[in-house]
Amino acid sequence: MSSKAGYKQVKRMTPAMRIIHWVNVVSMIVAVATGLYIAAPYYQTLMAEDAVDKYVMAWNRWGHFIVAIIFDVTSIIVAYLFFFSRFEKPWKKVIPTGKNIKEFGQVVVNLLTLNRTKNFDSTHSDSFNSVYFLIFHLLLFWMLFTGLQMYVHGLGSGISSIGAWWPAMLHLVTDWTLPVSSWFIGSTATGTNIMDVRISHHITMWLIIVWVVFHIYYQVWRTIFWKEGDIAIVVGGSKFVKEDKEA
Amino acid sequence: MSIDKEESVKKLFTAESAKVDTNKGDAYYDELYASCQKRIEELRELEPLNNRMDFMESVEEQGLERRDFLKWASATTAMLMLPASFTPLVAEAAVLMNRVPVIWVELSDCAGNSEALLRSDGPQIDEIVLDIISLEFHETLQAASGHQAEKQMDEAMEHFKGKYLLFVEGAVPLGLNGQYGTIGAKGETFVDHLHRAAKGAAAVVAVGSCATFGGIPAAAPNPTDAVGVMDVIKGKPIINIPACPANPSNMVGVILHFVLTGTIPELDSLLRPKFAFGYRIHDNCERRAHFDAGEYVEEWGDEGAKNNFCLYKVGCKGPMTFNNCSIIRYNEGVNWPIGVGRGCIGCSEPDFWDKYAYERPMANANIKAPTGGVEKTVDEFGLGLLTAAGIGIGIHAAASAIAGKKEDEGEA
Repeated sequence: MSSKAGYKQVKRMTPAMRIIHWVNVVSMIVAVATGLYIAAPYYQTLMAEDAVDKYVMAWNRWGHFIVAIIFDVTSIIVAYLFFFSRFEKPWKKVIPTGKNIKEFGQVVVNLLTLNRTKNFDSTHSDSFNSVYFLIFHLLLFWMLFTGLQMYVHGLGSGISSIGAWWPAMLHLVTDWTLPVSSWFIGSTATGTNIMDVRISHHITMWLIIVWVVFHIYYQVWRTIFWKEGDIAIVVGGSKFVKEDKEA
Repeated sequence: MSIDKEESVKKLFTAESAKVDTNKGDAYYDELYASCQKRIEELRELEPLNNRMDFMESVEEQGLERRDFLKWASATTAMLMLPASFTPLVAEAAVLMNRVPVIWVELSDCAGNSEALLRSDGPQIDEIVLDIISLEFHETLQAASGHQAEKQMDEAMEHFKGKYLLFVEGAVPLGLNGQYGTIGAKGETFVDHLHRAAKGAAAVVAVGSCATFGGIPAAAPNPTDAVGVMDVIKGKPIINIPACPANPSNMVGVILHFVLTGTIPELDSLLRPKFAFGYRIHDNCERRAHFDAGEYVEEWGDEGAKNNFCLYKVGCKGPMTFNNCSIIRYNEGVNWPIGVGRGCIGCSEPDFWDKYAYERPMANANIKAPTGGVEKTVDEFGLGLLTAAGIGIGIHAAASAIAGKKEDEGEA
């Protein structure tokens, strides 16, 4: 790929990162569509068929859990790459050092002034976006734990197709979401409550959707205002910056 | 959660959701069998307390046969998650129930749990067992009132100190120093009454959703600051038997377990016996196939309702509720809410009135008044807006004063 004169191509996402991104996009759309059906079945099935031929809720739950498991595994990979990637070190951008805080502030100013001031290097992933992606992954981890907490009660017998260790492990790693959710949601009575876990799982879905709306808006905004082809990062893996900018 | 901070932090990482171990191995059950046998022999030596009704006579008087009793005994053994070999011991423990003194107090509630065991379609074994227990004091049922009733309670507490089971029905209002609920000729508050009754109890059994988690009295906005028994009584074994009303079978199960083993049954993190609350209603529901198929009752009385479709879309909370009513049902297996065609309202879960008992799918709950109450919102919004305006006026006035001064200086 040759660059336009005066522009330099900068590699920003490895193929692995881009694959994870698009797997996450598909997973999220499926998870929201099936999750909303599980919360309140919004379409009806034909009455004339036998129950065994339809299995509509079961297929929705199947789809929800399969994409959840895919999501969980990509989250583990992302968490690993966050610290150990040889390509970039995102964790270095989220620790509140003076440099990072200044960059974060400059990116916000850039957005609020509609690109009239731009006092930071847009060649590499900036501190603002790194923090923003970290928030996304924290929300995802909350979804992971609350989702598996609700899931494990379907394995009430304590056994599963892959052994008794799986429900036991799920209880061990997700039971803490019960008191935390009850603490978040608040209660007039005492007692942790699985309904609070469900409510917070549902609210977090909306937070993630809000997150996505701003994410898409902002990447498009950058592409339009910065004129550096940012939107191409997630497809081709690179963007273009003016040669003189390369400091 | 209305518990103090320290405890909530402690609970944060020690929570355990329902997880039931139904087979603890031969060695465990052999040992338990021996200890139960020993305890039953000890109890047989004791004289029956005040209640001298004979169990088998009562059963026959009610037109039931010994065979019915033995059927009940094997079902109860299974319910308590004991091996079938325990059936003769359970039967014997039932006959010896009149050796265990019970004191029953009633606080903020509708007496529904007492009703549940009094008003069944006909006397069943569970109810007879509850007739047989040595009920030393029961505010709703006893003939005595006023000072006489209080004397009776004092005597019972003194006589059976450290031995009696205290059953509590109803929430404990704490607002206004507990003045929302008083009882007796001396006008003792419910909370003092409970403390006094719990002092000499061997264990406290909270019966019904009000006594366990505050129930309906504690529902938003909880004007009386009602709480459950476990928030008031500390340092005593507490067993919660929630549900609205609590299933008499589970009350009998807890008493039987106590008679049989001298200990309280295994409890979950909400202090509910696991034998009764270890399973999710949804997983043992007769309409589950329709749930998986996506066949739902869309509105009451429609074609789906006539075909026993799943009640999830008209608000059934079976998927979030832990109770054994989908297995043992009510009134000795006659029927249960989902069986009669209305959804589960999650009555055995904390906060059930606010978070479960609406007849809509979970995501469409919208039960509270707009933004949490019309007047509440107006008041808080008004005060907030007024404060903001006040601050704004203050800043403007200060800025104007400074600007005015500067202008004056400039002119000068």
